[in-house]
Amino acid sequence: MKNINLKKSLVALTTSALIAALAVVIPTTAQAAPTCDDQTVLAGKSSTSITFKKCVGTDFQGANYEIRMPKKFNGTLFLYSHGIRHSTVLPQIPVINPSALDIATGYPEGWRSKLRTFPEVAPGRSPADQETIARTLLSQGYALAGASPRVGGWAVPEHIEANMNLLEEAKTLFPKINKIVSWGDSLGGHISQSMSEQFDSIDAAINLHMAGSADVQFSQLGDVIWLTKTLFDPTIKGHGYENRFPGDPDGYKVFITDIYKVLGVLQTLQANIQKNPVTPAWPDTAPASLKASPIPVRSAIMLLGLLAGIPPQSTTYDASSGPAGPLETTFGLAVNPAVAVLENYSSALGLGILAGYDAQIRCGGVVYDNTKTDYAARLGDNRYTWATALSGNTSINGMLAYLSPLNPAAPRVKGDADAIDCINNQSKYNGKVSTPTITLSQTADAITPAGYVEKFKNLYQGNVSAKEAKPGLLLNIWNKPPDTYTKFSSAGLPITPAVPTTGTSHFMFTNEQIMAMAKLGAAAAKSGKLPSTKTALAAFKKDASIFIDPDFTPALMPQEK
Amino acid sequence: MIRNKSMRRATLVSAIVATGAMLLSTLPAQAATPGVTAKEIKLGISSPLTGSAGLSYGKVPGAMKAYFNYINANGGVYGRKITLVSRDDKYLPVRAATETTNLILKDNVFALVGALGTATHAKAYKAAALAAKNVPDLFVNTGFSGFTNQVKYPTTFMVLPTYAMEAKVIAKAIKDNFPGQPSLLIAQDDEFGTDGVAGFTAAGHKFSAPNVLYPQGYFSTPGRDAAVITSLKGLLALAPGSKPVIVLFGTTDVTAALLKAATDAGVEKSFTWYAGSVGADANTLLALGVKSTTIDGVVSASFMPDAKDLTDPYVKQFVDINTKYNKGITFDNYVLAAMNSAMLTVQALRAAGKDLTRKGVMTAIETKGAKFASAGLVPLGYSATSRIGYNGYWVSQLNAKGEGKPFGGKLVIYTTDSGAGAVEVSTFVRPTMPKNGIPTNS
Repeated sequence: MKNINLKKSLVALTTSALIAALAVVIPTTAQAAPTCDDQTVLAGKSSTSITFKKCVGTDFQGANYEIRMPKKFNGTLFLYSHGIRHSTVLPQIPVINPSALDIATGYPEGWRSKLRTFPEVAPGRSPADQETIARTLLSQGYALAGASPRVGGWAVPEHIEANMNLLEEAKTLFPKINKIVSWGDSLGGHISQSMSEQFDSIDAAINLHMAGSADVQFSQLGDVIWLTKTLFDPTIKGHGYENRFPGDPDGYKVFITDIYKVLGVLQTLQANIQKNPVTPAWPDTAPASLKASPIPVRSAIMLLGLLAGIPPQSTTYDASSGPAGPLETTFGLAVNPAVAVLENYSSALGLGILAGYDAQIRCGGVVYDNTKTDYAARLGDNRYTWATALSGNTSINGMLAYLSPLNPAAPRVKGDADAIDCINNQSKYNGKVSTPTITLSQTADAITPAGYVEKFKNLYQGNVSAKEAKPGLLLNIWNKPPDTYTKFSSAGLPITPAVPTTGTSHFMFTNEQIMAMAKLGAAAAKSGKLPSTKTALAAFKKDASIFIDPDFTPALMPQEK
Repeated sequence: MIRNKSMRRATLVSAIVATGAMLLSTLPAQAATPGVTAKEIKLGISSPLTGSAGLSYGKVPGAMKAYFNYINANGGVYGRKITLVSRDDKYLPVRAATETTNLILKDNVFALVGALGTATHAKAYKAAALAAKNVPDLFVNTGFSGFTNQVKYPTTFMVLPTYAMEAKVIAKAIKDNFPGQPSLLIAQDDEFGTDGVAGFTAAGHKFSAPNVLYPQGYFSTPGRDAAVITSLKGLLALAPGSKPVIVLFGTTDVTAALLKAATDAGVEKSFTWYAGSVGADANTLLALGVKSTTIDGVVSASFMPDAKDLTDPYVKQFVDINTKYNKGITFDNYVLAAMNSAMLTVQALRAAGKDLTRKGVMTAIETKGAKFASAGLVPLGYSATSRIGYNGYWVSQLNAKGEGKPFGGKLVIYTTDSGAGAVEVSTFVRPTMPKNGIPTNS
């Protein structure tokens, strides 16, 4: 079994530790003129020397930014929006926050989701990859820029504001900028898209595994938490922390305690499946009636994934393969997709609890509401497709009955209407595409599943039909896993790959794939047109994991049903 | 200052519109039909070649290829040779989705033929965007009634009757042949069993005990089959002197597991075993270790002749083709069914005419498919409103050799629908086999 790398001994937090961690990061608000200096670095395999001017500064709203302008500038600037970062100071927690924050040194090691407000100028899987991408683009004559909003979390409006301020500054400093490619990944992809819909200063948009609009995104994350609480540990609070940070530490303590509880659930599920993949035991914290049922807990995990929209393919598990032997097909049908959900589930759960908490702070109330959710209807045809993994109709019906609003042991979450409106209005795109826009998405992305892009595509097509957008401005490129990829040891145990499987996990695009997207984006900005399918595929140089098919229709997020 | 979209100046000029109109008028004619050239028709199949389901169904693509090669050796379809691209999905939904997508995008096939399984094909159909691409999805091997939904599956044509139809026929056969005997349903706890239960309910059949429903893979768990046998003994105790009818509505591996468990318990002859068509292949049962003495007497439903019946002209012709074009492969019910589907495919392609298109082949089946020559002993039901293939069953009984003979010595054909319609005895006479098994229809 795959080791999710949970530490076995989760040390209980003491009150003093919590209070020590409860630091409020107050962003700087002092506007400063940018500081610019010339730098010369080496780039590319041939170590070409490139010279550029690097300018850093803080806008009047407190957002930090960085601009890199090559000496041999070709006129196009890439404006990068990074993904979500924590808005809440966290202690060191396995999976959720593996490295302790180092406030004193400014969080230098580059952990993607750590609380920090320094800008990045290019996407990449790691800081080293980001720098490689940046230098390669600089060597090709492109300028780079990026801002980090004055606050963390689901900071869509703040990030767009910071980007707009940055563009003003960049154009003032470097008047030769005449084309702008907006690009971003994850929440940054969402920001990139929202910005290109609102402002005509963007000549092309490149959205990498873009997050969904808040309405569906927070419904998904809320579902992950509610289903975890309901199926595996009813003592998890999950939503509606009474005294929210920073007003009172009590809410924060409950929130941190919840994090440890969900980690405990994940750890137990992992251990139980490892011990008995076919009929694993339920966690001790699960409701008594479920523990006593003949339903294997792996089927509950599978159901959770299907209802919440977590892909059944992960970096280790391809939803198909089984160890050679008599159980090969059974493992492939019944176990593999469920443990894939479990592997993806940790990421979704981590994001869910952090982003949900942030949204509650941001909007002053619970931003998730499932009082009217019909989970049985939501399951739809998946009950047939995944019948074996769900252990058949009787099992499915039993679990759905448990999730019914008529079950007092499974209380629904009543959201705060104003808070929901608040987050939804702050974070949405409407598909009114008016500039060449290219997406690159993983078909089995754990956090921003393919359904989000499908929704975006539908919104755009709806606008085209309504003559509110021009046709031919959206190209969706997909990154898929190999046909099969789960490997087993001689003992029949799955082997987790050292490098996450392409098309899975979250943000696993290679530098070559990102550079291909940059090339396409720059060309689109220059011509005002999308590349042809042939040209787009050629940019990826026969990358077998990349495909373009306008007819490809990944399932919408279940929350859309 | 950053301008808002509303400030964007209008850029459209009438000249562009005019130029666009001129360009449209010079566009080439409709693009070539995928998978069709002057010399070739490329078809695809995603099915299990390996894994547990490969044991039963692994012969299907090879048998279809053998028949197509036979046709190719005799002029092909209007001069075009048929190529069948086969991909192994191991009977796994995600693999089926992947391989079906590969058939469409990489292999560029004209149509799919003989896809197998409900979960697999339902997943594959959507993943490969068969509806959007208008890819003919021919002669699918599943009886799930969901595939009759032409809105969700507008390009799909089933070859099997629905499971509900089969259940209705079984209910009728029990009533006619085993009056007064207790009965029990042991069914797969998914859409397969759901369809079956719906059929029995529609037929008004009442089982003597609650249905035993099990998830697929359940009987892979040691001890489960023996536990079911223990509960069956309880049925005997409730009705001393009876011979309860046990309906097995699942796949062959489960039929085998239960028959072996019954044999081990020494109660195999205490029941009449009525195995649904999906789980009653004698060769597979024997290969899975069921004793021939246990198989002897098992009742089943079928719409095809028995593969061992060499007096049947279709069977004889297919055996000959198998001998020459599928060397080393034992002829059995799976090979027979596969070659029969291949023969239907050839007729569909011919009926679509020389100017072969995807739409054309689907229209051809709708308008002419009910009259296609086929080994099936029951009528085909294709029409503009029905995508169900065979419309009924005959009741067979296996002997110790694994041969399926008409129950009671007389062939009785039942036909029905998937809904509330009655089960009726049919006088259907199948079309004469085309000369040498080579269709010449148009």
